[in-house]
Formats: sequence, C-alpha cells, structure tokens
Amino acid sequence: MMAGSALRRLMAEYKQLTLNPPEGIIAGPVNEENFFEWEALIAGPEGTCFEGGIFPAKLLFPPDYPLSPPKMQFVCEMFHPNIYADGRVCISILHAPGDDPTGYECSAERWSPVQSVEKILLSVVSMLAEPNDESGANVDAAKLWREDREQFNKIAKRLVRKTLGLPPAE
Amino acid sequence: MKMKAVVATVITVALTSVVIGNAYYQKKQFYPSVVYLTNSNPSMAVMYLQAFILVLLMGKILRKIFFGQLRPAEFEHLIERSWYAITETCLAFTVFRDDFNPKFIALFTLLLFLKAFHWLAEDRVDYMERSPVIGLLFHVRILSLLTLLAQSDMYFIHHAYLFTATKGPSVQLVFGFEYSILIIMIVNILIKYVLHAIDSRWEAPWESKAAVLLYTELAINFLKVLLYVGFVAVMVRIYTLPLFAFRPMYETMRSFKKAYNDVVLSRRAIRNMNTLYPDATADELAAADNECIICREEMHSGAKKLPCNHIFHAACLRLWFQRQQTCPTCRLNVLRAPAPEQANANAPAPHANAPHANAPNANAPAPPPPTAPVPPPFPNMPPPPMMGWGMPPPPPPRPASLATLSVEELQRLEGTERRHIEARLQLLHEIQAMLNASVLLMQQYSNVVSNLPLNCSNVATQTEIHRTEPSPEPSPVRVKTDPDVVPTTSTYKPTAGPSTSTDYTFDPNDPTLDSNRDQSDADAEELRRRRLQKFKEIHSDK
Repeated sequence: MMAGSALRRLMAEYKQLTLNPPEGIIAGPVNEENFFEWEALIAGPEGTCFEGGIFPAKLLFPPDYPLSPPKMQFVCEMFHPNIYADGRVCISILHAPGDDPTGYECSAERWSPVQSVEKILLSVVSMLAEPNDESGANVDAAKLWREDREQFNKIAKRLVRKTLGLPPAE
Repeated sequence: MKMKAVVATVITVALTSVVIGNAYYQKKQFYPSVVYLTNSNPSMAVMYLQAFILVLLMGKILRKIFFGQLRPAEFEHLIERSWYAITETCLAFTVFRDDFNPKFIALFTLLLFLKAFHWLAEDRVDYMERSPVIGLLFHVRILSLLTLLAQSDMYFIHHAYLFTATKGPSVQLVFGFEYSILIIMIVNILIKYVLHAIDSRWEAPWESKAAVLLYTELAINFLKVLLYVGFVAVMVRIYTLPLFAFRPMYETMRSFKKAYNDVVLSRRAIRNMNTLYPDATADELAAADNECIICREEMHSGAKKLPCNHIFHAACLRLWFQRQQTCPTCRLNVLRAPAPEQANANAPAPHANAPHANAPNANAPAPPPPTAPVPPPFPNMPPPPMMGWGMPPPPPPRPASLATLSVEELQRLEGTERRHIEARLQLLHEIQAMLNASVLLMQQYSNVVSNLPLNCSNVATQTEIHRTEPSPEPSPVRVKTDPDVVPTTSTYKPTAGPSTSTDYTFDPNDPTLDSNRDQSDADAEELRRRRLQKFKEIHSDK
C-alpha cells in the first residue's frame, strides 16, 4: 500500500459514510484491497428529471489525497451539461486550485483538504438537480437544457429507465 | 474513426503501388523509374503521402509497444501539442527555406515524431502518481522507452554538434537545440519517475517528495530558460529572429517564474508556520474536537494555529503549503495575513492613528488636559476622507483601565511614550507655523483689498497674482490640515492663538474661497498666459 496518511483518511471517511450515510448516496471502495478506487451509487434527486434513477460512478483517489482531489466518473450513460461524454464529472470542487480547465472558477469553490467524499457526492447530487449550463463539459446537453427543456427531460427519463434496467418507455 | 484510418491506409498503399507500377511499366528498369518518379510532381506527392502514413503507422506500433492503450486525456494532450509543434515547424521552414529538401523534411518529421513520444512518456509518468496499481510491465515500458529516447537524443545532439563544428552553422543548430531541450525533458521525466517509484514502495508517507519535486521543477526550468535564451541569441546573430521558438520560450519562462514563486511562497509559508504561528493549546484543541481536518486524525501535539484560528497538524500544513499558501478551511491567504504575535505586539495597525494615540494617554500619570482628544501623532498624514471640514476628529477609544493591562504591555506603552511626546511637540511646532502662514496670507489679502479702489482697471490681474502666488506652497497643504487641528489648538490655547482676530475672519471653510481656489486652478492656464502678456507689456513700456 502507498501513502499511509491517504489510506488512513480514506478509511476514516469510509467508516463515516457507512455509519451515517447521507440520503440517496452509497459509496465505498471497490474492494477492500484497494482503497484508492471507490464506487458510488447516486440516486437522482427528487423533483428533477433524474428522479428515480440510480447512477453508478467511480472515484479515483490520488496517493496524496486529500491534498489533491479525486477524479469522479459516471460509469453509466449520462446526459448532463456538467458531465463529459465519457462520464467524467466537471465541478469546481473536484479541481485543484492551481489548474483551471474552464477558466472562470474562483478558487474559493475549488478543492481543499477540508472537502470530503461526502461533500463531493452531495455536490454532484445538487449538480444533477441544477446543472450549470455555463460549463461546457457537454455542450449539446447544455444547449438542450437551455433551449429545449422538454427534450432534455425526455432524454433524462430514458437514461433513468436505462439505469434501472427497464426497457425504454413506449 | 478506426475504419477511416484503415480505408486511408489502404487507399494510399493502392495509390503508391499504382504510381510505382506505372513508373516501372513506362521505364522497365529500376534506375530510370526512380528518376521518372522523382521528376514527376504528382508521383512525388503520392510518395510523400505514403511516407506520412507509414510514419503514422510506425507511431501506432511503437505506441502499442510502449504505452498500450492511451488514456483519452493523454490523447487530447498529444493532439493539442502536435498542432503547436507542426505550426512552429512550418515557421521554422521559413527561416531555412534555402535548405528545403526531402532530407530536411524527413529530419523535421523525425523530430516531431520523437517529441510526441517524449510528451507521452511525460504524461504517463505523471499518471503514476494517481494510478493505484503499477505493474512490472509499466516499469519495463517506461524505462526502455526513456533509454531509447535518451539515446536517440544524444545521437542527434552529437550529430548536430559535429556537423556545425565542421561545416559551420546550418539548420543543424535548430536540431541540436531541440534535442537538447528534449534530453532535459528526459532527465526531468526520469527524476519524476524515480521519485514516484520510491514513493510507491515506501510504507510511510514521504513528506519531502513534494519539496524535491518543486526544486527539480525549478532547476529544470532554469536550464530550459538558459537554453532558449542562448538559442535565440545565436539565431539572431546568425540568421534572423526565430519566431518559431518564441511560444515555447515564453511558456518555459512562465513556468520557471511559477516554479520560482512556488518555491519562494511555500518556503515563506512554512517558515511563517514554524516561527510565527503558535502551537495550539489543549483548550483550543478540545474546541476543535481534537481532529485535524486535513488527515481526519486526532491532534495531540504538534498542532499549529493559523492567524484565522484554524488548527491543523504542523506536518499536514507543511504538505498543504507546498501546494497552496491558504488556510484549508477558510482559504485565508496566510502570506498576506498578519502573523498573530505581530498583530498583538502593535495591536492597532499603524495607520489607524486614533487608537494608537490613546496608548500614551492612558499611561501618562497626569496628562495636562485629561479629557482632551490628543492630536494625531502623524501630522503629515492627510485627514481621513470621511472627516468633513472643521469637524473635530472623534475622540479615540480608551482602554477600560490600566489594571487590565499586563506588565509587558505597560512596559511597551512606556517604551513608546517618548516617541509620542516628540511627535506631539513636532505637531505643535507645525501648528504654529501654519498659523503664522495664515496670518501672512491674511495680511496680503487685506493689502489687496485696501488697494482695490485705487486701481480698478487692474483688479482682476492683481488679486489673481496675489492669490495664486503664495498659494502653491503654503495654502493648499496647510489649509487642508487646518480643520483637523482646529479643535486641538482651541483646547491647548483656549482663547487666543498666536494669530490675531484676523485669524477668525479667514475661514478656510468659506465656500466662496473654496470655489475661488478651484476656479483659479481651472483658469491657471489662462492666467499664466495673461500674466506673461502683462510682463511683456511692462518690459516693452520700460
């Protein structure tokens, strides 16, 4: 095993998340041999077009966690302005203060060791509920979200059914 | 994508066979066919295309061998850097258009090709830090690739050196320089690789790794900057301005500056932490739940308190400061914030003069007018903008009682007492000088007024001359500070100042006078012109 302090902190967070799981979020290491790769299940927030869906994602932690942020990637098909086509999540909390891929985030919203897996996942839930259409991770989704909400909702509903293993409606 | 590549490859191969077949069919022999091929432009174009495709295929094979599947980020990075490199290569062609021939193009293509592998190796080694499992295959691949690249770089540098030494400066200068940059890159990658490899084998976290990386970055960037500057200087002397080297040179300089700042700032932050920030006390630790929010572990000892009162392990803070010099919780910039002890030592910031002045006042056994507001100790400082004309400055807040001050604080107050008295004496002197000046002004003013009816024709010019001539030095500054001083003089010398009753008729707050001054400012140009005219008249009269 590498970096002991990162491992200890990840274990502490795992324990915390298991003892007091936040609503709609389940997360933990893929296997207990490797604490640097986690798997998370996120329930689509109620009252949004993602309601009812269960979205699997994986989190990759750097060996110098928590000094550097983890990377998060959905492993199911997603259609969302802040999620790249390959599932990578683009939110400011996951960006180290030094690099600025989008060029407009202020450093107050960036990663710092105070953040945690739980906070990241909660941010992702609120990102699902309220996309930031200024960040161009998925330009098509951002455009649709802005201009044709009905169509966006339709796509989201289809994805929700897909994550649940249901056949598409109609 | 894949299909397109295959189709393109098949088409070029087919085209090439057609072209070669055609040449051979027409000439029937090897040598004449080659001559025919090289003399026919369309045939050559096809051959170039074929060569290009072959290079790409070769690149794919090598990539498979040394990297396996590229991650999307690596691929994006590669494409982006390739575009810059290709543009710059085209720019370089313009400088060396006399040497333009197939060999020349082949050399540049080879350079680009090797560069791409350097970039990929760099990205891959950077990824080491993040990938959870690193197998033996990874080490074998990276090490063999680095050896191969280093050898080819060395070969080309050697070749460029020999060529330049025997045949004088040529395009080989560029190659020598480019491969030198690449070899520095290899050294950098190798150092990073060794560091990451050591780190991944150690059980305990290696705290100084980040620092070593930072210093490596600094040294490597310094070398690169030197090389670039040297190269540009040589090119300017021999050929012309090497535009194609400017973008990479600028980027290298920028990253050198960044590395330098990082080293300096993180060193300063860590030094501040070690020397200035207090160790957290047991009470403070208990208030923070004994938990260090960076590592989520208990704090028993070795915890430091930042100026914003947040508490962390000193070791955790050190690691964080190597990346960011901010408080992890509230993002206070620790380099800009005042250190806590310093803040206590001269409690109020020096520019807040009101609380500063109360210190001697509170300490002095019996100050002459105990309730009077003490004059600000910095007479040359302009009054705060909020203060209106003639409004007395608000009385400074006073500490509750001397009994609440500790012995050290009292001693500190005593130590500054002398300085304050001196400042006050100086202030009084200045007040006197100001009053004298205003009396003088007043006298001049009354002189002018008394002269008024005598020569009506000259009224405008004369008053203006009198008004503007003394005003540049004494009046604007002095009059401005006046209102600040008025209340204090009245308390020290309740009835009569050094000035006479005229003093009271000269009211600096008089709006008409004020507007007059503004107008004279605005009309200064006009005035000077008129005055010059008058001077000329006088001279011509005499």
